[in-house]
Amino acid sequence: MNTTTTALEEKITSDLLPQKFGRAGTIWTSVLVIICLTGIIGYYRQLQNGLGVTGMRDYASWGIYISNFVFFVAISLVGSLITAIFRVTNVGWRTPLTRISEIIAVSAIIFAGLIIIIDMGRPERFINLFIHGRLQSPIVWDVIVITTYLTLSVLFLYFPLLADMPILIKNSKPGSSINKFYRFIGSFWKGTTEQVNLSGKAIQIISIMIIPIALGIHTVTSWLFATTYRPGWDSTNFGAYFVSGAFLVGAGGVVVAMYVFRRFYKLDAYITERHFDHMGKTLVMLALLYLYFNINEYLVPAFKMKKAEEHHLMGLFTGEFSIIFWFAILIGMIIPVMVLIFPRGRKPKTMFIMGVFVVVGAWFKRFLIVTPTLLSPFLPISDAPESYQHYLPTWEEWAITMGTLAGTLLIITLFVRYFPIIPIHETIEEQENIKA
Amino acid sequence: MKIKISGVYILLIGWCLFNINQAAQAQTEKEKKTPRINLAYHQLNDDLPYLQVDVKTKNGRRFEPVEGVDINVFFGEETAGGFMGRTITNDKGIGVVNLDEKFSVQWDTLPSSTFIATLTANNEYEDASAEVEIAKSRIELTLETEDSVRTMKAKVMAQEDGNWIPVPETEIKFVVKRLLSNLQAGEEASYYSDEEGTVMAEFTSKVPGDVDGNIILGAKFEDNELYGNRMVTKQVKWGVPLKVSDSFGKRTLWSTRSKTPYWLLIFPNLAIACVWGAIVYLIFLIIKIKKIGKANP
Repeated sequence: MNTTTTALEEKITSDLLPQKFGRAGTIWTSVLVIICLTGIIGYYRQLQNGLGVTGMRDYASWGIYISNFVFFVAISLVGSLITAIFRVTNVGWRTPLTRISEIIAVSAIIFAGLIIIIDMGRPERFINLFIHGRLQSPIVWDVIVITTYLTLSVLFLYFPLLADMPILIKNSKPGSSINKFYRFIGSFWKGTTEQVNLSGKAIQIISIMIIPIALGIHTVTSWLFATTYRPGWDSTNFGAYFVSGAFLVGAGGVVVAMYVFRRFYKLDAYITERHFDHMGKTLVMLALLYLYFNINEYLVPAFKMKKAEEHHLMGLFTGEFSIIFWFAILIGMIIPVMVLIFPRGRKPKTMFIMGVFVVVGAWFKRFLIVTPTLLSPFLPISDAPESYQHYLPTWEEWAITMGTLAGTLLIITLFVRYFPIIPIHETIEEQENIKA
Repeated sequence: MKIKISGVYILLIGWCLFNINQAAQAQTEKEKKTPRINLAYHQLNDDLPYLQVDVKTKNGRRFEPVEGVDINVFFGEETAGGFMGRTITNDKGIGVVNLDEKFSVQWDTLPSSTFIATLTANNEYEDASAEVEIAKSRIELTLETEDSVRTMKAKVMAQEDGNWIPVPETEIKFVVKRLLSNLQAGEEASYYSDEEGTVMAEFTSKVPGDVDGNIILGAKFEDNELYGNRMVTKQVKWGVPLKVSDSFGKRTLWSTRSKTPYWLLIFPNLAIACVWGAIVYLIFLIIKIKKIGKANP
């Protein structure tokens, strides 16, 4: 090993090692903790008083919890897009983005599982799903795929992390809690050829396996809706529609995270404008794909305008939900395409704004998939109070929902505090290969 | 010039006031609508007869049902003694009053009876009334099978001087009673009784019945000027027996956990076993990597 290589290694290591929170980091983390605590208070009230504290009633029995669940499942799909698909197709510029996408996937899928339990109202009955669950029910399929995807995503995060463990152990204070933790999870990694081969083999297996599982999780989630005969859900396209939307929001989430980490951890040399440019093009393609499915999902039923579906469709186009609908379509798809199609639009700051647009638009889009349909049953709403015909989430629901969103960000924030968000060892190897 | 303009203004204001006044007058002197009542007599088998009122009013060129008006129905004469009952019309303008038991003696003894329906004027509608005279009648329905030929036979009779006599030239319909409406049972939509008051028709339809093939066949008058609406029915095993497809206890998508279809047990479980098998292998790889690490301090 020559002096230049060692200097390069040291530079990369010092650049990419996890850093202590600065002032901004501390404030950010505190805010997230406060939001999470508010969510816990809301959940405590829900446990105490039942689902009656929510705005959900006989008709809108799925509200922002399930919208949030679909959103989490969607954003988690990015793990398979960036890490697995880009790895299998040998996309060279993926390295700095792999861990970002994997931690987004893991944190999102954890909260996807949690929010389903929160939505149950009686969480102690969750166990009944395993004891009495019927394989005929899509809910059981969803539980199976979520558990499987979470396990695979954790392994997908863990295996590439092993190579960084000696660096982390070496650069942490001996005897400290974090040093002990690093030792516990990876002190056995010596970087021998045999270990590297086994780890490479494992990563290869996961890369291939996680793609159908990731497509499966979102397809099964779409079947929770599509196997029910209701306006807006009765579609054979739902699986593909959900998967395309999930890729889009996942990519949007990665773009936002890329910009934030680049700016606050000063990673300009690793997450370059080239990465933003590539991700921008990917976003355009995914937004157009999702737009195509949206046109299919709304235009075809609107052309027929069956009487039973009219209430639902008109509610979206010009009625109660029209503002959210057009907002989600515009900021979630049309504006990002129009901006990112031009090279100037693919600059980091613009990309960040477009990423936020995509993610926010995607959240509202999930709400539009879930709730308006429930408020448009095939049989007219009868013998119910007028308020049952509308859905307005209560503060408890908002607190819990925001708490779960903050929880996802908190997991990512804490991960970045203790682990390198860009793989150090892989980056060193890559740079050495370039120099060689 | 100034005077001229003022004159025009005065005329304009006067014209406006006149129109406003006319409109207000029209509003207060709003014309009452003229309702039209149709009164019909109905009886099924030997059940209690009932009178059905159907109230409509003309709006432009078409008739519209009158909803929510009180209609009084009388037996014989429009007096307190003849008061049968009151009904409020529904959204289709229809109301029903059963023949009160207190009139049963009169009804049984008289060869014909008169029914009167009245609507008392209110803010919206003018007075209206309708009257219908119903003669006592009877239909005898016979259903026979001979050499695989199924025959429906109805005999129409009316009461005259205390005796039942056959009624010729009366329109009769044979029907199969279904849940929401009736189906035509004979080849023709309707038949006319002969001098013996009899009509006959062959039943050839393949109508689904209950599990034993039971169907309900009927013979009826419809809007008959003398006899109103009357129908007699009989149950007969001339229908196609219904085969109930019972999936209870079978392996279906909607059965219990223990009755999951085999294909749904085999394929998903095979996929789950493969994926989790691979996950177990990955954990095994971690253990192997760990062992290698420990062997190379």
